[in-house]
Amino acid sequence: MGPKRHTDIFWRVEKQRETQALEGVERGDDCSEIGTVTLISGGQMHQLNLIGGMIWNLCDGQHSIEEISSELALEFEADSEELIDDVRGFVSDLQARGWIDDE
Amino acid sequence: MMNDLLSAPLTLNWTLSFRCNFSCSHCWSRDEAAPELDLKQLRAIVDVLAAHRIPFINFGGGEPLIREELLELCSYAVSRGLRVSMNSNGWHLDRTMARRIRQAGFSSVGISIDSPDSGVHDRFRSMPGSFERASNALGHLRDAGIKRTMSSVICTINHQELHGLIALARTYEVSALYLHNFKCSGEGMKNRAELDLSAEQWRSFYQHAIAIRQDLKGLNLTFDDPVIASLPGYAEQGMVKGSSCGKLSLHLRPNGDLTPCGFIPLVIGNILEEDFSRLWHDSPILNQMRNKVPTGQCASCASYEDCLGGCSARAFAESGDFNSPDPHCWK
Repeated sequence: MGPKRHTDIFWRVEKQRETQALEGVERGDDCSEIGTVTLISGGQMHQLNLIGGMIWNLCDGQHSIEEISSELALEFEADSEELIDDVRGFVSDLQARGWIDDE
Repeated sequence: MMNDLLSAPLTLNWTLSFRCNFSCSHCWSRDEAAPELDLKQLRAIVDVLAAHRIPFINFGGGEPLIREELLELCSYAVSRGLRVSMNSNGWHLDRTMARRIRQAGFSSVGISIDSPDSGVHDRFRSMPGSFERASNALGHLRDAGIKRTMSSVICTINHQELHGLIALARTYEVSALYLHNFKCSGEGMKNRAELDLSAEQWRSFYQHAIAIRQDLKGLNLTFDDPVIASLPGYAEQGMVKGSSCGKLSLHLRPNGDLTPCGFIPLVIGNILEEDFSRLWHDSPILNQMRNKVPTGQCASCASYEDCLGGCSARAFAESGDFNSPDPHCWK
């Protein structure tokens, strides 16, 4: 079991922006300000960038923190060990917002 | 804040019918007419919304409960993963209907009450007994365990009655009191001289409402009006700057025609006949609204970057130009 999104939170991938961000990453641009996932919680809209959105997408209860880190490492050609702390911190933030079930 | 256009709106405000059993003084749709779609076509629209991941439907009108298909349509939309709400005048909402609404899966229901004074409300809605029926509807919704809200169109009959409206909302334990800003469309345009506030009165009203809201507990006091952004010290950020129409929401007429909002009678296309994504991204009307150019007093106003000229519907209703300043602006 891993972190799992609350089912009452609506979210969707913003396809055009995701494509834009992926193309930007390919070019080496800073795409951290591009919101690729939209969430609605408590009547408020929130946006996650490409990496945040990928983590969110993997918070399906089936992926552990280590597995999420590995997936990201594969996508961005990075060392998964170096990503674990960042992923854990991000998931903790999601939990603090009440968007993720406590493990 | 978002840095670009969303892939689709978040909310579709859906007018199933222009028919209504009331004849309200501010109504935007009294003189509107359009053929109504059958249930198969309505379901097809829900399929379009689900395919584009548009999560929220809010049925309005016209009176939505006039359409017999409403509850079945709601159930279908819920089965496709959508969240459905409606705004009603409450006349047809008795105890049995409240139970059926709950079974259909509505996430919340809003009831329009414009004054804590029953006589004032009844005259404004041109319907004797409408205050009592609306109040009873809120009670039935509460008893059925349905999340409910109360809506009031702010105008000359009630802009000094905020405390009374809040007290009424508390009586029925509503989750939110929506203070809708008056729109000069339809009957609202005809009765504007009698009903609309002056710009200075709007400023006073919002300052008062903001002050009250700061200390309000257990009730969400909501007023979605882009002109508020120009109030000094107003730091609250909406989901987008300026009007949300065409950026976060669209309006659907009874025949499937899409407009930016109910108050702007410009059709961008038909949801059953044209590709939704293309309409959303390429509509010249929507893109004009999303890329307004300051004119008149807006051209030299320091608040423009926050309010983006205020309500586009009001500007368009008065001048025929989205870029004109919002007539409610006090600056």
